[in-house]
Amino acid sequence: MQPMIKVENLTKRYAGVTALNGVSFEVQRGEIVGFLGPNGAGKSTTMRILTGFIPASSGRVEVAGLDVFENSLEVRERVGYMPENNPLYVDMRVSEYLKFRSKLKGLPRVERKERIPEVLEMCGLTDVSHRIIGQLSKGYRQRVGLADALLAEPDLLILDEPTIGLDPVQIRQVRQLIKDLGKRHTILLSTHILPEVEMTCNRVIIIHHGRILASDTPDNLMKTLHAGGLIQVEVRGPGSDVQAKLRAVEGVESISAKLIEDGCVRVAVTPKPGDDPREGIYQTVAANGWTLRELTRTRTTLEDIFVQITHEEDEAEEERREQRRSVLR
Amino acid sequence: MRNVPALLRRELNAYFASVLGYIVIMFFLVVMGVSFVSIVGELLSRGSTQLTVMEGFFSWFWLPSLFLVPAITMRLLAEEKRAGTLEMLMTAPVTDFEVVLAKWLGAVALYTLMWAATGFYIVILRHFSGGQTALDLGPIFSGYLGIVVIGQFLIAVGLMTSAMTRNQVTAFLIAFALLFLYLIAIWFGYYFTRGTAAGKVFEFLSAFEQMNDFQRGVVDLRPLVLYASGTVLALFVTTRVVESRKWR
Repeated sequence: MQPMIKVENLTKRYAGVTALNGVSFEVQRGEIVGFLGPNGAGKSTTMRILTGFIPASSGRVEVAGLDVFENSLEVRERVGYMPENNPLYVDMRVSEYLKFRSKLKGLPRVERKERIPEVLEMCGLTDVSHRIIGQLSKGYRQRVGLADALLAEPDLLILDEPTIGLDPVQIRQVRQLIKDLGKRHTILLSTHILPEVEMTCNRVIIIHHGRILASDTPDNLMKTLHAGGLIQVEVRGPGSDVQAKLRAVEGVESISAKLIEDGCVRVAVTPKPGDDPREGIYQTVAANGWTLRELTRTRTTLEDIFVQITHEEDEAEEERREQRRSVLR
Repeated sequence: MRNVPALLRRELNAYFASVLGYIVIMFFLVVMGVSFVSIVGELLSRGSTQLTVMEGFFSWFWLPSLFLVPAITMRLLAEEKRAGTLEMLMTAPVTDFEVVLAKWLGAVALYTLMWAATGFYIVILRHFSGGQTALDLGPIFSGYLGIVVIGQFLIAVGLMTSAMTRNQVTAFLIAFALLFLYLIAIWFGYYFTRGTAAGKVFEFLSAFEQMNDFQRGVVDLRPLVLYASGTVLALFVTTRVVESRKWR
């Protein structure tokens, strides 16, 4: 089946600045893909190109098999887009605004009459539909932007930072809404909040300095990098004995231990990739008659991966720069 | 062109949902009301003259245009750019030209509406003159036609400057400067070159001279063609400026 989004070798240069540098990726129908990167990584630029607001400097971009530059209007009919900062006409009423937008999106009158109450309901806006947008709270405005994106039942939803500036309760509501929408739409959303993608997306694309650094499911990313994380063990028992026996447990790569108080040892165990030695550790402790006070696996979070990947990239970049400097000297 | 009605409706709503539309019309009516009163007073004190009240009135058309046209047009595109709403507008299945056209139509409608309000003066003149003042409706109608024909071009120029910046004040000042050049500088050019070949060109271009014709009931095709082409050019440039985000 044709992918929903197909980006090949996309490059975007603004006066002197390369915002995107040879970006390629695909999004399949039905996926929820998270676009992850620090501020200024090129997320919004990619989204603006996908929606036809600005063109690429080079490369091919297709949405549902249509070239976004050649068939700009057809692509825009198929995409629901919520731009960064969610710009809205603040002097309009919610229902008035959605009516205006549905006309622009070419919804026939009959369909409009059905669809507007539907999206108002879906986004929890029914009670404020007669309020002026400028007087609504940020959370409600965000939902108005989302409702607008949903109006024409687009194949593809592109949401640029949909939860920015919301309070924790609102964030949770918007995330749930996105998850529900994912059942019927393909979604590409950008964020720099990591738990967001972990919770809502089936796939993560990490972008940094206009380049894609990784693209995988959140679980796979965690597996490939730092498999399994560390295991924290706290045991009441003779220090050196505990260390020696735990190091010998099947699946343990290395350990580091620290005496914390009378007769207690705190051990950080690094497991071999793909292994989970927690049961072995418990059995060893029990067999020696020590007391187990704690056994925890600290999961590697996407945040660790993100920091690690972008940091490695920054170091590599710094190295390249250093080399260039030494060549010049 | 499918989207122009919806966009135009939004434009007209925007003038009257904010205070802007009311302020512009109020300011205009105060200025025009004061000049109307002074013209009538002047004519009454001078006794009978060849000049009619509406002629004196139309000859002041440039003053409100110079200030109010930039005030109407300054926010049209500059504000959309600043607030980012242009992005949401242009990522809907709408062409750049449709947006530009709707904004121009909306501003022309407001401009026409505010001038139409001065039609009330004719009713006043009718009522109090007792038939003494010449109130030939033909020249009055062509005078209004001239005002709309010239005004719609000035609005297209104002819209063009609004597309060039995201700052409303900048848009106002550039529009003011361009309109000032067009209205005043050409007239000065005419004043100093009268009788020469250059003078003929300036005379043809001068909005004051054209307005003179219009208010006497002379509807010349040439200024109509001039302003129609000028507007087409200005709207074309505006569309290209809006599109320029695509080739910068």
